[in-house]
Amino acid sequence: MKRIKRGMFAALVTLAAVGLLFGTSPAADKPTVIFGDYGWDSIQVNNRIAAFIIENGLGYPVKYVQGETIMLNTALIQAKGGEAPNVNMESWEENWQELYDEGLAKGKDPDTDEGFVNLGSNFPNSVQGWYVPRYVVEGDAERGIQPMAPDLKSVFDLPKYWKLFQDPEDPSKGRFYSCLPGWACAQVNKEKFKAYDLEEYYNIMQPGSNPALAGSMVTAYKRGNPWLGYYWAPTWVLGKLDMLQLEEPAFDQEIWDTTKACAYPAVKCDILVHKSLPEKAPDVVAFLKNYGTTLDINNKFLAYMQDNEASTEEAAAWFLKKYEDLWTGWVPANVAAKVKAAMK
Amino acid sequence: MMEFPKDIDIPLDVWVDGIMEWVLATFGGFFDLLGTGILYLLLHTESFFLWLPWPILVFGVGILAWRVMGSWLAGLGMAGMLFFVGALGLWDLGMMTLALVVASVIVSLAIGLPLGIAMASSDTFQAIIKPILDGMQTMPSFVYLIPALMLFGLGKVPALFATIIYAVPPVIRLTNVGIREVSANVIEAAHAFGSSYWQILFKIQMPLARPTILVGINQTTMMALAMVVIASMIGAKGLGLEVLLAINRIEVGRGFEAGLCIVFMAIIIDRITFSMASRKKK
Repeated sequence: MKRIKRGMFAALVTLAAVGLLFGTSPAADKPTVIFGDYGWDSIQVNNRIAAFIIENGLGYPVKYVQGETIMLNTALIQAKGGEAPNVNMESWEENWQELYDEGLAKGKDPDTDEGFVNLGSNFPNSVQGWYVPRYVVEGDAERGIQPMAPDLKSVFDLPKYWKLFQDPEDPSKGRFYSCLPGWACAQVNKEKFKAYDLEEYYNIMQPGSNPALAGSMVTAYKRGNPWLGYYWAPTWVLGKLDMLQLEEPAFDQEIWDTTKACAYPAVKCDILVHKSLPEKAPDVVAFLKNYGTTLDINNKFLAYMQDNEASTEEAAAWFLKKYEDLWTGWVPANVAAKVKAAMK
Repeated sequence: MMEFPKDIDIPLDVWVDGIMEWVLATFGGFFDLLGTGILYLLLHTESFFLWLPWPILVFGVGILAWRVMGSWLAGLGMAGMLFFVGALGLWDLGMMTLALVVASVIVSLAIGLPLGIAMASSDTFQAIIKPILDGMQTMPSFVYLIPALMLFGLGKVPALFATIIYAVPPVIRLTNVGIREVSANVIEAAHAFGSSYWQILFKIQMPLARPTILVGINQTTMMALAMVVIASMIGAKGLGLEVLLAINRIEVGRGFEAGLCIVFMAIIIDRITFSMASRKKK
């Protein structure tokens, strides 16, 4: 028995020694552009589009790093170690406003190496609002669902229908699925509830995580149950489910600043880079400043992914082929030529 | 009903923030160095497991399980479970997870065994360490994820750090208990023969405490494995990240696949190390 053990130990040591030979990485003279690969599809496709152009057109090594949103954003501000992201392609900053303000302020402070700079919007026209499944209002003949609330058009119709969205934990009111604690919209929804006089009819439920919020919606949708809550686009969820946005009075800055009794403005979806990047990779930053898509394009490549069961890489390749006129405008002609050559 | 007086308000949060900033400013360089060291260990463990050809690992685990558990059926079952991980297309992710767990256990042992021995030899030290261990095991891990991230940056190192905080207590506790349980008569006899402190420790206490310590190592390994999803939130790749991505997209099947692989790896590690611990010495 002892001999076997010793033999095994020797074998393991040999294997470990061979293992030591691996794990070295080649040195590069250009800094690696590290994309924060946040947990949703549109940003991952945007990452791969930008990465393809940066890698093949501008010649920088690229890398993706995955993780939870707040963790990645904290790491983006600190930029500590070789794994910290230095690019965030979709900021959605209202979901982490406090940390965002801190990071932006640090980015302007010359006394610290931390912080990021905002390069402007990726797509300016994202949507957010209150949604119900379309079958709740219009029914769905195919699935044999009768309209449950035929007159539900706007937020002002909600008091009539609270029973439909009954809160199982408090049956005297309806349930509204709001934003996660810490997202700016959580507070906004609260104020809207007051402005629209909904407090006596509905409880606000704050899910603990985005999967929980999306999961409640998807589950209700699959079972043909009513669901009422906040969501935003472009997201794969709204791309996949046929949801109806409840009407609100049109956005008006003055109302927004006081009672919030109007529709949401577009969510800010900007491109952020760590403050050291403009110096280390000026051509990358120039390119990212020009980078810009639209809600429509994002929805299209998300739909492409869904329909063809395509990976995020494939969706990026599809975009580069389909929207050549758009992206060639983001880079100088010689860079565009290199990227085109790499696509073949 | 009596309300708690509002005037009593301990600003612990402010203090903790202050300490954190002070630590970052003062010991930043030290933590960078520590991080580099840990990363070196991690990268090599990982590239070793990724390099290891899969048949060697599958057969190796099968034979090991057969030897220590004394049943060829068990060996076949363990090898089968490992094969299943590969058959789901999650081999590489599984190896990354295994590497993180193995590295965590190595560091945990390096910290835990000496601490456990020290605890066993001093009642005062035991009284100090015990509540700290309670804290490490019950403090929600989200609380120390951000500080870990601030100290070590994103990636494998803070993941290992968070894993160790959660996983090291069992090996410390059980080393302590194991050594303390060694019969006083045996120690007295050793003293009578003129043994020194170190002779008693290494020749008598440690060998007699071995089964208990092995149970501690077994527990530490299981707890390290339980942390992989949390670890993936701060950038550790592997099965945990697969679970996290699947949850983010509400892909139940994909999450189940990765989750099942974690379960299988836990069963394999648990059964083998447990059999090693409970087996009589031949």
